[in-house]
Amino acid sequence: MDVITGGTGQVAGGTRPQTGPALETHGLTRSYGARVAVDSVELLVERGVVLGLLGPNGAGKTTLIRMLSTVLRCDAGSFRVAGVAHTDPVRIRRAVGVLPESAGYPRGQTCEEWLTLHARLFGVRRRDARALAARLLGEVGLEDRRRSLIAGLSRGMRQRLGIARALVNDPEVVFLDEPTLGLDPFGQRQVLDLVTRIAREHGVTVVLSTHVLDEVEQICDRVVILNRGRVVADGTMAEVVRRAAAPREGRLEVPADHRARALDTLAAHHVPAEPGANGHLGMVRLELPGDVAPEDSSAAALRCLLDAGVPVLGFSVEGGRLSDAFLRVTRGDGDE
Amino acid sequence: MSEATRTRPATTAAAESPWLVMAEQELRDLWLSGRGLAVMLAHTTLLSITTYLIATNQELNFLEQREAVALTVQVTVAVGGLLVVLVAADAVSGERERGTLETLLLTPVPRRSLLIGKGVAAMSLWFGAFLLALPYLWWIGRDVGTFGSAAAGTFLAGTLLALFLTGVGLLVTTFSQSNGLSLALSFFLLLGLYAPHQLPAEASRGWAGETLLKLDPFTSALLYLERLVINAHTLTQDLPLLVVPALAAAGILTLALALAGRLSLLPRSG
Repeated sequence: MDVITGGTGQVAGGTRPQTGPALETHGLTRSYGARVAVDSVELLVERGVVLGLLGPNGAGKTTLIRMLSTVLRCDAGSFRVAGVAHTDPVRIRRAVGVLPESAGYPRGQTCEEWLTLHARLFGVRRRDARALAARLLGEVGLEDRRRSLIAGLSRGMRQRLGIARALVNDPEVVFLDEPTLGLDPFGQRQVLDLVTRIAREHGVTVVLSTHVLDEVEQICDRVVILNRGRVVADGTMAEVVRRAAAPREGRLEVPADHRARALDTLAAHHVPAEPGANGHLGMVRLELPGDVAPEDSSAAALRCLLDAGVPVLGFSVEGGRLSDAFLRVTRGDGDE
Repeated sequence: MSEATRTRPATTAAAESPWLVMAEQELRDLWLSGRGLAVMLAHTTLLSITTYLIATNQELNFLEQREAVALTVQVTVAVGGLLVVLVAADAVSGERERGTLETLLLTPVPRRSLLIGKGVAAMSLWFGAFLLALPYLWWIGRDVGTFGSAAAGTFLAGTLLALFLTGVGLLVTTFSQSNGLSLALSFFLLLGLYAPHQLPAEASRGWAGETLLKLDPFTSALLYLERLVINAHTLTQDLPLLVVPALAAAGILTLALALAGRLSLLPRSG
């Protein structure tokens, strides 16, 4: 099991005790009938981390979040959130904030009314709850929508309101389940900026479940990839990419009359290569191993060509991104 | 961000009971959104039509004045009960379908408190229906002096039935797969409970018939009200008839609250 340690969002002071990991699961399992949604998940996430939780549709991300936030019971295993054992769900709920996937909103309530209600349900006094609601609305950029009915908000505004609701109890761990789902690029940008700011300013551990790998690359310190309910990758972005051993593609440009020699030379050095497409007679595509640093594998390929006297006009490497690793470890699985 | 926003918000365990917070919000949602007022308007319209028919329709006009009061009492109890059971039946399954249940379950509030808060809101419809019926009871029974006993008896028996139906609705909604199922099941349960009261007189004769009627909380309560209003019995004279509704209300509410811990996002999984 990998220990995921803090990155951008180190916990910022505050009055809460800061001991132990933010999340810890052991053999966490949950089934729906015969289908195992989450299968023996082992996780250890230190405080202050922004963790990207990835996986194809039906991988078990939402079920895992629901178990960790005590909305669903686990069939087997145990977990601790913010140092609180799963046997004490009320204390866990006090320590977490959650933006559920496809959360519904009471359309007939105002933004302030809804946040105030939730703050009061967390034990905040009525007057303090109203002040807290106003402050949180300001934080998510909805201060001018205090008295607006939720029914009148755009989807992006509702997501930001949902994030504000997830903060009413000043949580230690925030779970955001697909926060940018259905948003336009501008809305996505706003929500991601907000998540980054929350992680930095509130000093909370953020678990961001998403399908959008770019989002994870932009804001997450660490990543966990689930597939068919199991953790198939866990670590920093670089670690996950390296462990996934997703092959990279090298694009080599040589003079057209040297291409055949280049292909022969690469074959002799066991570097898989083939003529490039698009009718460009000087292009060669070669596959670089994913488990070797790209600079090392590229240098080795270029060295053998140069040693063989093949002039190299250009060389570039593609791949080795999180999306390559994701596809590699999930093998395109998913329920859609 | 200031330090104030980083420290925990001021919380207090004793200041507000979660069920009261929940009830307050549910009452606001029900009454200020216009839903409660709309059904009260419908109830008033129904009472007005009934009263008008009693006053003008030749057949109904032959009713003894006490019987007319009893009819109004029955309408009030039936409509109040229907409203209560439908709102209670929507309480959890409706939130589940609208996607708003999860955020409530994410709060540290005990499931029981959520149900109590929603039950209070459902009960408020009965009290609304009862209050609206008072002027009609007074006007129809003004010549026979039944207003006081009819009002008190209706309040007593109707409240017991409303509590019972709140329990039925909450129990059904907690475990229903869909809101439609919850509403339909609760509605048909209400009809089933009301049915024995509509049986022909022959069916209620004999030991078995009487037992059936007395074991049905609706029939017992309505029998109590009939004797109170039509036979001019005192409030306490037929109190044993309210034992069944009282026990049924206590039993079903206890059951609903005892099983509240099994209230979950997915009705059959927890």
